[in-house]
Amino acid sequence: MSFFTIQQLEKSFTVGETNEMILKGIDLPLHKGEITALVGASGSGKSTLLTIAAGLQSASNGHIYFNEQDLTSLSQEQLRQMRAEQFGFVFQFAHLVPFLTAEEQLLLMLDVANKKKNKKDVARVLELVGMTHRKTAYPSSLSGGEKQRIAIARAIIHEPKILFADEPTASLDSKRSSEVMMLLQSLTKTLNLTTLLVTHDEEMLRYVDKTVHMRDGKILDEQLS
Amino acid sequence: MNLAWKEMKKNKSKFFIFGLIVLLISLLTFMIAGLANGLSQDNAALIKELPDGQFYMTTEAEDNYALSRISSTQQKELLLKYPDATALSIQMGMFHNAEGNQQSVAFVTTTESDIFPKVAAGEMIVDISLKEEGFKIGDILTSNQFSGQWEIVGFSDQTKFNHAAVAFIHQEDFTEMYRTTDLQLLYLADEEVKTIDGLTMYSNKDFLNTIPSYSAEQLSLNMIIWFLVVISGMLFAIFFYMMNVQKIGLYGILKAIGVKTSTLFIMMWTQMLLISAIALSISLLLSQLFQNFAPQGMPFHLTLNTTLLFAAIFLVIGFFGATLSGLQIKKVQPLQAIQQGEI
Repeated sequence: MSFFTIQQLEKSFTVGETNEMILKGIDLPLHKGEITALVGASGSGKSTLLTIAAGLQSASNGHIYFNEQDLTSLSQEQLRQMRAEQFGFVFQFAHLVPFLTAEEQLLLMLDVANKKKNKKDVARVLELVGMTHRKTAYPSSLSGGEKQRIAIARAIIHEPKILFADEPTASLDSKRSSEVMMLLQSLTKTLNLTTLLVTHDEEMLRYVDKTVHMRDGKILDEQLS
Repeated sequence: MNLAWKEMKKNKSKFFIFGLIVLLISLLTFMIAGLANGLSQDNAALIKELPDGQFYMTTEAEDNYALSRISSTQQKELLLKYPDATALSIQMGMFHNAEGNQQSVAFVTTTESDIFPKVAAGEMIVDISLKEEGFKIGDILTSNQFSGQWEIVGFSDQTKFNHAAVAFIHQEDFTEMYRTTDLQLLYLADEEVKTIDGLTMYSNKDFLNTIPSYSAEQLSLNMIIWFLVVISGMLFAIFFYMMNVQKIGLYGILKAIGVKTSTLFIMMWTQMLLISAIALSISLLLSQLFQNFAPQGMPFHLTLNTTLLFAAIFLVIGFFGATLSGLQIKKVQPLQAIQQGEI
């Protein structure tokens, strides 16, 4: 079994009297040191798949195994702890805490993950994402690209095993999008992370190891880069 | 990490405005309560400031002290039996000063007592509020009901009755004015209940309630104060509720990255308690300062205990409001916050 495995995952919503199936039996293994990209048209179920895998919403059926533990059987508190300690998140918008400096965003994440607060680690990660010079800046004074870099730094500071990125470049221009993707690629390799990302930008696929095409809640095909 | 403090430090002006609103609402409540209590004090300070004890009036008077008559014989017997007791009478009346200015007062006469001021015949001790009216020690006063004259020999504090200043006069003068040696009341500064034949007993509070103007006025004043406290408290609760509900998006993101809901509750309570404690302390200080510097004639009375009680009520209601918004925070789904866009 892979390090992170999605098995026969289903998700349905009840809208009025109809039961709408969003995910229809997804099987997907994720590997260490690899970026897997989920692509597909709107409504294909890629974002739903990512958020279920990340423990942000529940599945209707199926299993998600991480380190041989079934995430679908965990309580809300266990999932929270898992998110805090083992997962890293990069969202479409940076979603930084507005009243914390770049450095404090990272210290907060260490606190949440119950990791020892170490300013040296913070400095190292800020350097890794090229933001050392902006460590005392608040989000309101950062550009979109800078915010996303800090969001990535926050997502990896606590040394997570898996990085979930939901359209991390959607709010950036093409130059900054490439920079962010290169950074994600480099971090995935250097830190031996397992990265699952959702994108609708075909240009960004050149930075990933595996592309999973989705349509109508099913996987159409998987391509290795 | 102390998120509550970090947020307050970053958004100083926003939290300053929040604090200012709490301060103004609480100050308004304290001031109105002070004025209402002042009016109440103006009506009955003479009785309210006495130590806890018992008042007695004749049973035939049927709770109307003005109709009570304790004869001089009965007074002597009672004062022999209860040496710490004081017999007294209160009658509304008026006097004139040398310039002919007329002043309404409540004439009070008492038997020998350690609690009430001592005056000799021809002397008078008046409430300090008359100082502002221009009366001073040595002033000579007269009355149509009295053949002699009085000299002001001193001022007493917190001695108002029926919204009039109290004038303490000797029993001999009182007897001439009202043509009776009977006194209306017997007061015993003793918490122990003693039953006396032919007399009905009242605690200080019960006695106050027998005064028709006092009980009716007190009801209105209490209604004003408690309405204000409840409405201000609700404003606090709504205010803290709104303050937190505005931050639902932020709380959702924090939950998404793994922050415990209890940490968010602590953040919310810390901010609420910090803002309230600072604002209420300033408000308390200002109201107490006002009490000390308010003009003597202004009916304003606000004890520290009353202010602390109101402050505690505000804290409890504010805490309730903040906790209510906390329930929204508990319900917020991280996914919802992520999908709502930038915070």
